[in-house]
Amino acid sequence: MTEHLEFNSDSETFQKKRQFRFRLYIALLFVLLLFSFLVSRMVQLQWIEYDRYQGLAEGNRISIETLSPTRGKIYDRNHHLLADNQPVYTLQFIREKMDNIGSMQKTVIKILNDVSPEKIHNFFTEFKLKNRSKSYTLPFSLSEEQAAQFSVVSHKYPGATLTARLKRTYPYGSTGVHALGYVGRINAKDLSKLDEKAYRGTDIIGKSGIERFYESTLHGTPGIQQIETNARGRVLRNLETLPAKAGQDIQLTLDIELQEFAESLLENKRGGIVAIDPRNGEILAFVSMPTFDPNLFVDGIDQSSYNRLLNNPDRPLINRVINGQYPPGSTIKPFVALGAIENDFITPTKKIYDPGYLLYKKHRYRDWKRSGHGWMDMNDAIEQSCDTYFYKLSLDMGIDAIHDAMAPFGFGQKTGVDIHGESSGILPSQAWKMANKGKPWYRGETIIASIGQGYNLATPLQLAKATAILANRGQIITPHLLRSSHPENLQQIEIKNIKNWEKVILGMKNVMHGSRGTARRYAAKLPFKMAGKTGTAQVYSLNSGSYDADSIREKLRDHSLFIGFAPVDNPKIAVAIIVENVGSGSETAAPLAVRLISKYLETQLQNTEK
Amino acid sequence: MKINISQPQHVYRTNKGLLQILHIDGWLLLGILILLATSVAIVYSASGGDEAVTIRQLIRIAFAFALMLVFAQIPPHIIYMFTPWLFLIGILMLLGVLLFGEVGKGAQRWLDIGPVKFQPSELMKLVLPITVAWLFAHSRFPPSMRRLIVGASLIGFTASLIVVQPDLGTSLLIAMSGLFVLFFAGLPWKIILASITATVLSAPVAWHFMHGYQKQRVMTFLNPESDPLGSGYHIIQSKIAIGSGGLDGKGFMGSTQAHLDFLPESTTDFIFSVFSEEFGLMGVLLLLTLYSLVIARGLYIASQAQDNFTRLMAASLTMTLFVYIFVNIGMVSGLLPVVGLPLPLISYGGSSLVTLMISFGILMSIHTHKKLLTD
Repeated sequence: MTEHLEFNSDSETFQKKRQFRFRLYIALLFVLLLFSFLVSRMVQLQWIEYDRYQGLAEGNRISIETLSPTRGKIYDRNHHLLADNQPVYTLQFIREKMDNIGSMQKTVIKILNDVSPEKIHNFFTEFKLKNRSKSYTLPFSLSEEQAAQFSVVSHKYPGATLTARLKRTYPYGSTGVHALGYVGRINAKDLSKLDEKAYRGTDIIGKSGIERFYESTLHGTPGIQQIETNARGRVLRNLETLPAKAGQDIQLTLDIELQEFAESLLENKRGGIVAIDPRNGEILAFVSMPTFDPNLFVDGIDQSSYNRLLNNPDRPLINRVINGQYPPGSTIKPFVALGAIENDFITPTKKIYDPGYLLYKKHRYRDWKRSGHGWMDMNDAIEQSCDTYFYKLSLDMGIDAIHDAMAPFGFGQKTGVDIHGESSGILPSQAWKMANKGKPWYRGETIIASIGQGYNLATPLQLAKATAILANRGQIITPHLLRSSHPENLQQIEIKNIKNWEKVILGMKNVMHGSRGTARRYAAKLPFKMAGKTGTAQVYSLNSGSYDADSIREKLRDHSLFIGFAPVDNPKIAVAIIVENVGSGSETAAPLAVRLISKYLETQLQNTEK
Repeated sequence: MKINISQPQHVYRTNKGLLQILHIDGWLLLGILILLATSVAIVYSASGGDEAVTIRQLIRIAFAFALMLVFAQIPPHIIYMFTPWLFLIGILMLLGVLLFGEVGKGAQRWLDIGPVKFQPSELMKLVLPITVAWLFAHSRFPPSMRRLIVGASLIGFTASLIVVQPDLGTSLLIAMSGLFVLFFAGLPWKIILASITATVLSAPVAWHFMHGYQKQRVMTFLNPESDPLGSGYHIIQSKIAIGSGGLDGKGFMGSTQAHLDFLPESTTDFIFSVFSEEFGLMGVLLLLTLYSLVIARGLYIASQAQDNFTRLMAASLTMTLFVYIFVNIGMVSGLLPVVGLPLPLISYGGSSLVTLMISFGILMSIHTHKKLLTD
């Protein structure tokens, strides 16, 4: 900086400084000129035109209020009401107009005897620090009776107003909550995404499930009301109203009675059930157990209830149907078999001998039946769920052929259901392993992959979709919950030999009706024919936070799986069931599926007779 | 540059009190303190007695005040040394906003760095005039054409990065702060007159390139009554607030326009309307006098500065402050279009307060870090 020290002996510098000062004077002049311009404007507004503006301020009585739209209702396929709007009462306070907050608080505590006095006290403590002239709403609603009690004494309390508003209610409570979802208060994260104009006067938004996915349909458009008030802000009359446009009602594909029945099947258990109409992809039942009550969330759930749900070891908040990723176990065998006969790795009649294990690289891969099944063709292998048959077959096919056979059925991809946040499961291949684990594929891994273990993971919804496509003999459906009249343009899985569908399906039919079928006990007296496949998924890792010895042992037990559809020749329902930690598939999941399918087909029959 | 404070030779340092030790200019400090106290009172009133809001404003004031003290300690030659780097960082952050910026209310202005979220354009309000002052630190008077062209390009480039965010208002104000430096550095009068003429003539062309909302603002400005319940609403309600204040105002906490919610943004951009409604023409005259004194003091500091760099910096920072005051008051009183600019030192909010207090810190530093050679 030394280099530009400036000395006043330097005449050029002196000259420069003089000229700079001259410009400073000009600037000061400019400032004073513009400021006097402002002053004259103020004189004009505040002195000359004072009377006019004073009059306008006095008469400034037109304010604009937002009318919030009524949220669309949600119905099931048989017009049962699943999500409704019920009037509730709330209290609003304006501090400026209140003369005795203390006695007001006592009265509120007395009338709202179902809310803890502490919470009401907290509200008023905060309220006393807030904007004096704005209205604040008590965050607890009043019942009709409490509202009546309050209106009797309301004349004593200016500044408090009782208003009725509509509150979202779910008449069926916890039933179907994972499909339906729930609404809750708009939070900061929602605010950053939504259009402020459309949400004026609304404080709830769809948080999950259908309520979230179809938010824009259900929400509606707010209206505007011009209100004339007196100088203190009291409403005198309404001037002009642009009414709010209510949200559209929507109808779901769910059958709430079937849903209730399906949930009762999994009572006190953990797991998921999906039932789909394979003809169009309509989801009939969407069960994730355990469930929870969505009504808790509507006005904002309190911390302790929320923690109880969050810390429940059975994880009720998790949507197992779309986010529960389970090893599919033997339920994938029909899909592997189809790929094998399609691509000539084997013929359906070729027999393979099962001694009870496969020896590969000095390692014994055991069949579930220790003594072995003996000579098996494809039909026998599906019917009796022979592991060794598929072990041997998989070594001929290789993992990529298995991947290519299963991918068209939607394994490893999102199903496209109309709920946000679906998991995609895993359908392993050589490329998948290299990309995700950074290691090459080992052939030993192909062996366990062929019976749905190893890296394989699928959600109940993915299994149900794949089953529906199989039931359709290749017609690809997208499972969905919104009932729409437009028929979908369905794609078809092309295969070389159409008869191959029936060969695989025959194996699945024999699971239920064959002499050695793994689920034959449960289908003996059925008035219709069904196809199915049992599965057992090994659970080898323990990842929950529970340390209770009994429960650890329970959580290490296998998951029981079942997929199936009926009637075999004209399928009307396809199901996938997963029951966590209960043991083998033929014992738990299969009988549940039989009961669910029977219930549905019986009701269908009754309805057509009517 | 060596400074030997212990030698009381300088005319301003005959008497070494606490203010000198802290490098504070007493007159400037007095004006700022009165304005900040007014801010707390009027924010309390405009928010309807919201204590939480008022306390937040107090915390921001304390923080900004501390920053002012810190900047007052930094000798101008240190700022001079770092100027090119500051400019480079500022430009990189503006580019960062364009590439990764968060979109708020339709425009990308914010940059999210860890826990902090801030507007780089706010930083540029300081850095651009300082950079242009740096460029002209060794220039002749009037400067060479080449240097003028370089300066104008720096200003144009910076402003264009902000225009595309899009934030026309801020970019014009920032360009203005750079142009002030050119003016004080001796931009020839011929060029000044020529560019004013050119600007007036090119207005219709600019109109063509404006965004819809910008055109809307200009249209509303020209005729607010055309859309009294839409975008003209703000201006009309603001004029009613100011006008109904009359000569002596409705008294503290007496603003019906703010309390009945007729006035938008009553604690931020439109806080002047609340002030004039409550304190009337008398209050407004006092406030403008106070602002004039602060500006006059800033220009005086510029006149006493010892080298070209500090001179230009002091003068342009002061004039920038003036422009903000003028534009805000002009906007709420219906003289200028609504651009969304807070009233300096009075409006509720943090980022503009921080920039202003830093620039006051720099002014104080210029005045209190003097070489011992007097002029």
